[in-house]
Amino acid sequence: MNRINTTNCRQDARRSSRLLAATVASGFSLCFFVAALSPALAEEQAVWRPAPTERLVKLPGAYLKKAIERDFSESGLADAIGDRDARIALKAKTLADLRDAVNEAEGEVRTELRHQFLAEKREYVKLLGERQELQRKQLRTKIRVYERILRGLERKAPANEATQQLLKKQEEARERLERSTLNVDLKVFGSGVGKESKYSREYQKNLGAIQGLMTALKDHPMNAEAELDGQQVGKKEYVRQLAANAESGMALLDQEDTILGYMAKLVALDAMALAENLDEDLAEELDAEDETMSVSSAIGFFINR
Amino acid sequence: MGTTLKTTFLALAVLALPGAAMAGSLENLERERAILLEAMLTPAVDGSERLDKLAIGKRRLVDLERILLRDKSVVGKNTPQVRKAFENYDLTFLAHASVEKNLSLTDHWLEQVGVSTHSLMSTRVGRR
Repeated sequence: MNRINTTNCRQDARRSSRLLAATVASGFSLCFFVAALSPALAEEQAVWRPAPTERLVKLPGAYLKKAIERDFSESGLADAIGDRDARIALKAKTLADLRDAVNEAEGEVRTELRHQFLAEKREYVKLLGERQELQRKQLRTKIRVYERILRGLERKAPANEATQQLLKKQEEARERLERSTLNVDLKVFGSGVGKESKYSREYQKNLGAIQGLMTALKDHPMNAEAELDGQQVGKKEYVRQLAANAESGMALLDQEDTILGYMAKLVALDAMALAENLDEDLAEELDAEDETMSVSSAIGFFINR
Repeated sequence: MGTTLKTTFLALAVLALPGAAMAGSLENLERERAILLEAMLTPAVDGSERLDKLAIGKRRLVDLERILLRDKSVVGKNTPQVRKAFENYDLTFLAHASVEKNLSLTDHWLEQVGVSTHSLMSTRVGRR
């Protein structure tokens, strides 16, 4: 009977050992998973295709960021990040519960709970990695959008010196013409020789409407200049700052990748430690069995006849 | 046969580009100015008829000059035609410049091309 129990105990110990070996293997595989996460996620459907840059270039500086954020929030990528956030929050709660349970449990239940705790930690790190990759995707897209907007804004600026000279001459000509407009109207149209042309009449009428609209546009709160550190800045400078912010976000994600790598390594080491502890327990059990089955313990059978 | 084919292709090309047939504000101004200069210099019309034609032409020129300067498609358009037009304001914007200088259209143009009343008065008939 005692021998049967010993055999069962050994079988259980082997099973536990195999289980832990699988845990260790999965822990190590998690390390590799975190390192090579991107190709698997690239196939996901979570995408963000921002609005055409031509439309964004025309938006006022202060509104630009909001428009891009709103565009992103309507994308599949934002849904995917939101989904990961929710799952991560749930997983964190599960981990906290399991940790409490492990502290309170004993014996085989404790081993089983520790194993489950490790598996959940592995899932948690995996989810964090997925969210990181999605956030990286978002930031990359954002940087691309800002760069395109900047290129669009630069295209609007005069390309070379000859064009700048031409623009200067055109501006001078416009100013000179405006200065003489009243005089010309008086002498050409006010002389009684001929009345004001239809173009001139309509133009003045439209000009009044345009000026009224322009004043309304200038005073509109959504058309206010963008602000950086409390100071008003031009659209180009503002977009450049937004792109720099997105770049710094990418740098932080890279740093967080290192943290994830360490977390994954700790999970693997925890799994190894758990396996090692169980092996030690098993060895102690076997040692105990060896003692009962030792030659010296049976000596009494030979001495006491 | 070859000529017919070429003509057909040319006609189709012209039909396919309706915008190409449209003149810009600068082209319109230059056409009107050329008509005005012709009226100014042609010996085929008498004095009063010339004055009428110049008065009508001047009014049209005033509008066309303003249209050109308010035309956004010309702003920064670095083509030889646009560059040349803005190199000399007095010749391109003839009507406005003449009023600005308090001269008649003809006097202003002649002065710009180097023929002034003073230079004409100081000339004498002679044999070369």
